[in-house]
Amino acid sequence: MKSKKAIQLPFAWIFASLVGAFILFLAIYISIKVIDTGNNGVDLKTGTEIGIILNPLETSLTDGQKTSFSLPVETRIYISCSEKNTFGLQNIQISQMSFKKWTDTNSRVSFENKYIFSRNYSEGKTFYLFSKPLEMPFKVADLFYLTSSKEKYCFIDAPENIKEELESLGQENIATKNCSAQSINICFSLKDNCDIGVDYAGKVVVKKLDRLYFEGDALMYAAIFSDKSLYDCQLKRLMQRIEQLSGLYRDKASLVSKEDCNSNLDLVALAGLARNFENQGDLVAINMLAEEIKQNNEIADCRLW
Amino acid sequence: MNSKAQLKIQQMAFMLIAITIFFAIAGMFALTMSSSNNKKDAEFIREEHAMTLISKLANSPEFSCGEVFGGGQSNCIDSDKAIILAQKAIKYKTFWGVEDIEIKIINSDAEKLCNLQNYPDCNTINILNNETEGYPVSNFVSLCRKESFGGENYDKCEVARITVVTKGTW
Repeated sequence: MKSKKAIQLPFAWIFASLVGAFILFLAIYISIKVIDTGNNGVDLKTGTEIGIILNPLETSLTDGQKTSFSLPVETRIYISCSEKNTFGLQNIQISQMSFKKWTDTNSRVSFENKYIFSRNYSEGKTFYLFSKPLEMPFKVADLFYLTSSKEKYCFIDAPENIKEELESLGQENIATKNCSAQSINICFSLKDNCDIGVDYAGKVVVKKLDRLYFEGDALMYAAIFSDKSLYDCQLKRLMQRIEQLSGLYRDKASLVSKEDCNSNLDLVALAGLARNFENQGDLVAINMLAEEIKQNNEIADCRLW
Repeated sequence: MNSKAQLKIQQMAFMLIAITIFFAIAGMFALTMSSSNNKKDAEFIREEHAMTLISKLANSPEFSCGEVFGGGQSNCIDSDKAIILAQKAIKYKTFWGVEDIEIKIINSDAEKLCNLQNYPDCNTINILNNETEGYPVSNFVSLCRKESFGGENYDKCEVARITVVTKGTW
């Protein structure tokens, strides 16, 4: 009898332990899943909201607009791009600090009509955005430059027009004088302590081993604020849009010619150059043709844009 | 096994089942709350997006008048571009992230859909029509085009309503 009782008691304990462990495991598993789903939701929501924040900057007619946004926790914003489809894609991925760990960045929000230039990722709680339209020869798109409040930029010896523009912008993490020791120095003339060099006349931005060629101030800022791979990808996307817009204006030209409205612009050649765009080296030829088309449009019987 | 021990195991089993059910119900309640918050967030984002969407569209290079009709005008749509865009709908199907875009001139005439053959003797330009359900938002815009009379070109601008249908889900 004694030995039988000794077996019965442990069985109750074994049963309780097994079921208890199962319940605990289930509870922990579900909790982790719920937290993951919640984090995922927050990341997607933040990404979408960033896309929406850009809308007012695109609607404004004035040149150079800025905005900022703050997030409640430390956040990393990953900006990437892909050239697939007619217009390519602007991808935004968000990772936020949760329980001292960065959340996974598997979910992404994509836009076909946005062009954001930034480092591979920007980290912080407050982020700044400013925009500048790219015209080549017509307005192609508004380019956005995303920086974190942790990144301080100092433009040294910048040309007057750039200096004035940046000062009127009043973005807190961009300075044109009294550079702080931690700032990223962008030099427009040969100096020590330069992180990024800009040859404004030669239209090239030099970053460590990379040389990024640009045409116009909008692309100069793009080259300064972004990595080479993102810059190259966005350039290709912008060329995809130039190609489509050239087609649109070419069709418009033939439509308005019925109303005795002639324009005679070489938009077919522009579309061809944009379609065959391979790398930054092709920018010069496109810009030269764009300048010629721009001048012809200004003196045409009927302006197309 | 004596009946007292069996009773104890039964009690424990019932207790464990009750605890499981309690946690399941509590979990479901928490999930429902979180899902309702997500719905509210999605609705808020949708409304926020809709408010700026029309202006963004009207001022995008594909629609805007630019300086064709004298000076940079806000919320001015180039009618000639719009009718051409309507022919290129496939390329722009997902470009703006909206389902439908329709521009209707405000006049008392019966609706007459524009195509390249009857343009500009029509009053409705249907640019995108993905035929899916969503949330419509609309606003008034100037719809401008070039016309000629007696060999002279002039700008003709009319008041139109642009309606955009945004996606039902985010």
